[in-house]
Amino acid sequence: MRHNSTTQPLPGDLAMWFFILAELAVFGLMIMGFAVAEALQADSFRKSRDLLDTSTGLTLTLSLLTSGFLAALAVDRARHQQQKISAALLASAMVSAWVYVYIKLTEYNHLAEQGLDIEYDRFFTLYWIVSVFHFLHVLLGIVILAFMAVRCWYHSYSSDRLHNLESGVLYWHMVDLVWVMLFPLIYVLN
Amino acid sequence: MRKYFDTRRRLTLSWIALAVLSIITVSAGELELRLLAGAIVLIAGFCKAWIIIDQFMELRQVKLRWRLLMLGWPLVMALCIGIGMINRLPTD
Repeated sequence: MRHNSTTQPLPGDLAMWFFILAELAVFGLMIMGFAVAEALQADSFRKSRDLLDTSTGLTLTLSLLTSGFLAALAVDRARHQQQKISAALLASAMVSAWVYVYIKLTEYNHLAEQGLDIEYDRFFTLYWIVSVFHFLHVLLGIVILAFMAVRCWYHSYSSDRLHNLESGVLYWHMVDLVWVMLFPLIYVLN
Repeated sequence: MRKYFDTRRRLTLSWIALAVLSIITVSAGELELRLLAGAIVLIAGFCKAWIIIDQFMELRQVKLRWRLLMLGWPLVMALCIGIGMINRLPTD
């Protein structure tokens, strides 16, 4: 990583940055919709939010942030031509992401058993739509991490192809970025 | 070699800061002072987004317009959530 004061080129592919901006726009509309709906039905949202476990939300957050940290370390190792270590770090990032998946599925199951499904009230309608949409992005991110880990293991990322690895990891950071704004909205701000 | 250790240290410090801010978010959510709690939660959320954008996505030293574009997203989100929070109408 660079510490000088000169402007550096964007990491990854430009197309990935446009994709990230498009994704952020979609999630942004969902978050705004959530905020507007809450402003109109504050009491109902407060009661429904109380049914969610904040510590579960915190664990989900920590697992995603840890995964993003490991993925960032993997890019750094790949830049130093230590691709086996990079592959191991990407695999560790996947394990941390699977913790998120396991906890999230447990939460979904728990809510469904309590009858708190998508039709329960407006809060849970928005909760299921937004969180499942994000969850699908996590699953896609895990597939991308797995693909990149295998390619790193076989030393496929030469110095002129590192932008492919950077682009995949950028997608994973975008998933993290969205979650850090969803977490307070869904679990905390009561 | 020194640059390598600097990067690892910087990323590790970022991760610790993100974890601490997450814990602050949850703790602030339990405060009785709702407006203050909301402000702390949203500022912590924006700071976390800032760390992810600058350190993990490595936008610290790219062209300013890309950095502002990306930092604009969590800022707008935090403002929208904050405005929604202030305007919550007790209807039920």
